Amino acid sequence: MINVVYSTEHWIVPRIVICILCILLAAIIITEGRARVAKGEAFFSMPKKFFKDNPDFIKLFGTLVLFVGYIVTLDIIGFTLTSIIFVFLFNILYAGTSPKSIGISLLIAVVASLIVSIAFGVFFKITLPNGMFTITFVNQGFTIY
Amino acid sequence: MITNILLAVLGVIAGIIFGAIPGMTATMAVAVFLPMTYAYDLVPALYLLLGLYIGGISGGLVPAILINIPGTPSSITTTFDGYPMAKRGEGERALKIGILSSFIGGIISLIALALFTPLLSAAALKFSAVEKFLIILFALTVIAALSNGQMLRGVFAGFFGVLVSLIGMFSVNNSYRMVPSALKAYLSDGFQLLPVLIGLFAISQIFEEAEEGMRFKIEKVDGNNEGTKFSLSDLKGQGVNLVRSSIIGTFMGVLPGVGGSAASILAYSQAKSWSKHPELLGQGVPEGLVASESSNNGLTGGAMIPLLSLGIPGDSTTAILISAFMLQGIQVGPLFITQNTETWHQILLAMLLCNIIMFLCMFYPIKWISKIIYIPRQRLYPVIIMICVVGAYAAKNGRMFDVWSLLIAGIVGYLFGKIRIPKTCFLIGFILGKDLENYFIQAVSASKGSLLVFFSRPIGWVIWVLIIASIVYAVMDDRKQKARKKVEAAA
Repeated sequence: MINVVYSTEHWIVPRIVICILCILLAAIIITEGRARVAKGEAFFSMPKKFFKDNPDFIKLFGTLVLFVGYIVTLDIIGFTLTSIIFVFLFNILYAGTSPKSIGISLLIAVVASLIVSIAFGVFFKITLPNGMFTITFVNQGFTIY
Repeated sequence: MITNILLAVLGVIAGIIFGAIPGMTATMAVAVFLPMTYAYDLVPALYLLLGLYIGGISGGLVPAILINIPGTPSSITTTFDGYPMAKRGEGERALKIGILSSFIGGIISLIALALFTPLLSAAALKFSAVEKFLIILFALTVIAALSNGQMLRGVFAGFFGVLVSLIGMFSVNNSYRMVPSALKAYLSDGFQLLPVLIGLFAISQIFEEAEEGMRFKIEKVDGNNEGTKFSLSDLKGQGVNLVRSSIIGTFMGVLPGVGGSAASILAYSQAKSWSKHPELLGQGVPEGLVASESSNNGLTGGAMIPLLSLGIPGDSTTAILISAFMLQGIQVGPLFITQNTETWHQILLAMLLCNIIMFLCMFYPIKWISKIIYIPRQRLYPVIIMICVVGAYAAKNGRMFDVWSLLIAGIVGYLFGKIRIPKTCFLIGFILGKDLENYFIQAVSASKGSLLVFFSRPIGWVIWVLIIASIVYAVMDDRKQKARKKVEAAA
């Protein structure tokens, strides 16, 4: 029997699911622990290795930092200019800083950002993040975000 | 109609590109293009998305054959016979056999889709909340049955997805649960599907490759083609194999949460055990290619069957199609076909058309298509990040909160990969969680709190049998896989 009371029924299923998750977690820990014991290791063991061999931390955490920076500045500067800056920075991060590569990065950043901005913002009329560099052309009826 | 065809062509070509670049998948293609469909009606949107889906699944065979790297997980088995053929100088022949098999697999699964969806819908119309709840429970246990020796983690991921989907307000009594008071304004209907999905499947992939340093070394394949040329007789005697593999693919597609890799591995092993000369498979014979490619395209129609008849997506790509339907305010489920007959016919037509376009776009210009695998991913990912941000931002008419959800989902997806929690299982749980709760509360309220209601209806008993069967299968398969791993480790 489950007592369904209007004021608390929003907690019924979450509680059941949390119970199931606890049981499953215990089952996972026990079965995997026993498997380790069977192999002659300790019941609890440190995970072998979190990162892959030869990890590239600059690219990994660089991606995270740039992503956060991108989200934070979108609302301040506006979609198009922020995207040009950050697509360029992501390109530099992933493809390196040789002069030729920087040129390609800049080209990709400007062209791709403008295409996406115009295609989505102007043609598809999707709201994009706007900021200080967002320009609305009132007479023509469109906005460059 | 012209617009629809053009969108289908665009979708197929973009899909092939995503599929052919290793590491980028059909799911990513559909996720990235979904925001474009905000501006369209449902039908043109479906032409685009189905084109991406079919193109994305098919494109994976190109690098699998030419450089021994599957473009999508579903073409793993294509490498077994495709690459040896390419090394012998029969790359073009292998590609053409693969493309033709893909096309036939797609068409066979489309026939299954057209035949079985109405039947399943009609049966599902008789479902009460009890059966609907049990069907979702069944979907969650099937995930477990097919997580390849990862049963407990698969079920855990599924229920964890359910829990995350419950964050927000419960629609019956309008009360919040599991929401910090500062975020109440944003989380009234929980996390949006689209940012969660793109984060899990696209952003997490970028994190993973960033960790590897985006070092892609793709060796140029020498263009020698002095080996045997393709001719239709390559498929002679493959009829049974084609049909069997396509049906396996379709069936695996119907089961929720089962990816194309499981389908093609099963079809390949069946082709091997039925073959007259099993020792040749893996050395570069058309038989293996046919099995692999017809089964992974068989998936496309199969995965649409539970989506359209029960509202349960068959794989991660069709899960995105659910959000496309939601955006247009259309509920997929048992009533879909009767209430949207026109859309249903358009879906069938679109899938037929996309399969034909896929064939035409790949079979003849294959020499050009095969160059796609050299597109540098490090130049594409920044643009993909930008488009994902647009998609997430626009998911609910422009909220930065959803872009943060996108990033968080990306990090979570990356961590899931580290601790071996299957993402697809999580996603299926996340999509079905709210329905699971609603049907449970409905059923239990109607029975005044008695849990026996779940055992009170004959159709319910059938589903219980299926649930128990899938759990038994899961436990047995889990043991078998673990035993096999032990043997391999000992060897």
